[in-house]
Amino acid sequence: MHRFIYIEEAIADHPRTHAICARFPKATRVYCKHYGEIFNRKGQNFRLQKQQPALILAHKHKGHVLPAPDGYGIGGRRNYYFSHMLNCLYDCRYCFLQGMYRSANYVIFVNYEDFQQAIIDTAIQHKDEELWFFSGYDCDSLAYEPVTDFTRVFLPTFKAHPNAHLELRTKSLQIRTLLKSEPIQNCVIAFSFTPQEISRALEHDVPSVEKRIAAMLKLQQQGWRLGLRFDPMIYQQGYEEDYRRLFEQLFSRLSADAIHSVSLGTLRTPRAFHQNMVNLYPEEKLFAGPLEESNGMITYRKELEEQMTTFCYEQLMQYIPQSLFFACTPPERK
Amino acid sequence: MINIICALQCEARPLIEHYRLQGNARHSAFRCYQNDEMRLVVCGVGKLAAATATAYLAALSLPTSDAWLNLGIAGHADREIGEPLLAHKLIDASSERQWFPAIVIPAPCASETLTTVDKPEAAYREETMVDMEATGFYAAASRFQSSELIHSLKVISDNRGHHSDNISEKSTSGLIHRNIHTLDSIITQLQQLVAQLHQIAQTPAEVYSFMEQWHFTAYQQNELRHLIRRWYALTPDTPPLPVDFSDYKNSKAVIKAIREQLDNRPIRFDEACQ
Repeated sequence: MHRFIYIEEAIADHPRTHAICARFPKATRVYCKHYGEIFNRKGQNFRLQKQQPALILAHKHKGHVLPAPDGYGIGGRRNYYFSHMLNCLYDCRYCFLQGMYRSANYVIFVNYEDFQQAIIDTAIQHKDEELWFFSGYDCDSLAYEPVTDFTRVFLPTFKAHPNAHLELRTKSLQIRTLLKSEPIQNCVIAFSFTPQEISRALEHDVPSVEKRIAAMLKLQQQGWRLGLRFDPMIYQQGYEEDYRRLFEQLFSRLSADAIHSVSLGTLRTPRAFHQNMVNLYPEEKLFAGPLEESNGMITYRKELEEQMTTFCYEQLMQYIPQSLFFACTPPERK
Repeated sequence: MINIICALQCEARPLIEHYRLQGNARHSAFRCYQNDEMRLVVCGVGKLAAATATAYLAALSLPTSDAWLNLGIAGHADREIGEPLLAHKLIDASSERQWFPAIVIPAPCASETLTTVDKPEAAYREETMVDMEATGFYAAASRFQSSELIHSLKVISDNRGHHSDNISEKSTSGLIHRNIHTLDSIITQLQQLVAQLHQIAQTPAEVYSFMEQWHFTAYQQNELRHLIRRWYALTPDTPPLPVDFSDYKNSKAVIKAIREQLDNRPIRFDEACQ
């Protein structure tokens, strides 16, 4: 799949570098001093690179665990995120990564042990509190599992530290490692959804809603705790029917007992990222929609955002108790 | 448009013949050849000459949707004579600066590191091609274009078993000539990328039609461009026509009317247009 693998010289002999390279025996290996020479330089086109992304193997030197952005949480008081990987296999047109990064290449930080140590240190530092660690901020948590081995390596760390909770956020069907593992109660596998028609148009290369539900059912059967993420909600004419059908599709199949949390978020992109995204995809209908700028963020118009949030919230309340619901933009209560 | 930089006339000759490039006598700084899709400059030996020629070509037009190719011969310790190789990493030997061209095209040949030296070297460096132009070319071209569209293609002219003393103008032309299909394939792939970028960046023709009818300030022109792109995104098959807005007296009213129409347009992602 990858024709080129860029490797930082310092981690050329890391066992994980060898393991990952072994999966791509035909790829040309190119050595660099720092991954930023390839990933962060000016004069790159994300859209062109997305056609043939290269793999970059690097060492993460600091900031292994960072405080999660506001609104990125499911009820915990202390929220963190960590990114063993930058960029995503999927190509969702609303994704902020395409506006944030100059490069569409995938970066994998191979020094997992440093991330694990940072998680352990944080867990010990707040040993009497419930902490949440989110892994799906800069990438899909599971999509590249066959290459990264991410969950196989990280699950034991969380198993050993029950006050540290892990959210794996994904649209992927790569659940083999999870199915082979004993479920741990402090891990939530959170699947993101938009209605199928919207997914087909905007979430390129993402498995169908039906296939993701099938994956969730397997996990549910095994005893894993599941999350549902409707973030971002995407507007189209008749969205009410689309979302109503999606919720029905999900909650008629999934057992309420397996659902750990449900969250709802509106489309929101920092203005600079949005402008980059529009420049990359000027023909995209999503960006021609009813958007406005508010406090430096591009969002749907306020009244539409409120309408969508209220509608989806009310629909969800037909299926789940309030205690499972978490909103990034809380609806105005009537 | 593809811009090609060659150091030597004997490297350029097979291209001039194959692509039927015409000499352009208007350019006195460098020997320039071109057809409708390609420009070639013979820059002379050295990275400074390559950088100057690249900047010279860039200044001839708006190069934002051009591709750039540095074509020539290079030495390598143990690669076969006549092997074509794209550069996936460029090293400037004197400054130790590095560049990494993004190869997203399905290249018809292998790739290798390319080190640019200031003076010919008798000894061969390990695991790298060696030339005298590429980093000058790349440093200059990357000021004008995205890295996916800037490449160096080198044909191996000498190695430990076949020293550079044996290189002649005739053998150089022969090496390039024998790789013309590889070159052609790369040029075709780059042209496709250029066409994609051009389509993405293109200002819709209707913007100019509107500007002929009403006077738009520079700020309004940007706004108009943005709105007409939005229009195309929502209804790609029915472009906005100035005649449909002929009741409006000035540019401000036209922009307001276009925006109102767009804001009231329903969006469905599963339908071609509304």
